[in-house]
Amino acid sequence: MTTGTTPTPRRARTRYDERMYAIMNRREASAMYATTGRRRAAVAVHVLLTGVILAAEFTGFATATPWIVLTVPVLVLPWCLATGVLNAALRGLLDLRTHVLDERQLAERDRVRAKANRLTTYVLGCGVAGGIVVGELGGLTVGGAVLPVLISAFVVHWLMPLWVAGMTAQDEPADETDE
Amino acid sequence: MSEQVHNRLAMVRAERKVSRQALADAVGAHYQTIGYIERGQYNPSLDLALRMAEFFELPVEALFSLRPFRPLTDEVYGRKQ
Repeated sequence: MTTGTTPTPRRARTRYDERMYAIMNRREASAMYATTGRRRAAVAVHVLLTGVILAAEFTGFATATPWIVLTVPVLVLPWCLATGVLNAALRGLLDLRTHVLDERQLAERDRVRAKANRLTTYVLGCGVAGGIVVGELGGLTVGGAVLPVLISAFVVHWLMPLWVAGMTAQDEPADETDE
Repeated sequence: MSEQVHNRLAMVRAERKVSRQALADAVGAHYQTIGYIERGQYNPSLDLALRMAEFFELPVEALFSLRPFRPLTDEVYGRKQ
């Protein structure tokens, strides 16, 4: 008769984990992300704000116009709010540590990251192709654009999982046993 | 091999008056995961299925099956399909 094997225990949650888990699972603002439409609107606003912030930053530095650069902190505030809405909608799927998430969330996070990686590849591929075409046809040099392009690529790579997860998150049906 | 695992989780949970949150806390899962399982959108691991069966003190096959469950009234009153 076999006695079986002893499973490896999960890593215990720290106080930091507990606090982050509680923050990510607060439901006070759940009306803001209760439906697919609202979550997608939040993603659209987030993408738009990200684009505007990057454009303002690059334009401000390229044209040496300080007031454009100064609009960035103002735009970052609604950007943070939109990020918070998306994180709350996802219950911290992308921000909580691995041992805090359950098996379904870990599978979902892997799926989202794989999809985001594919999308980022397409976006960067299109960007590279567009850059080559513009460079060839317009005779433009890309030297001055290297840093903005690198920063934009980094931001897209960083935020794409959040956007993908926000676009694909599902509605939560009511629980009849909840009071 | 069947990809769909049928379950009676929602029915048993309602019968025992256990909320998703309470079940999730008891088995170490997120409350949304319980909803996903009930809707057939996520098949739990054997580990999680066994923990839920243990929580309800039922055999795991009473909660999960590869084939659709018969209506409970048919099982109780023995109506043949």
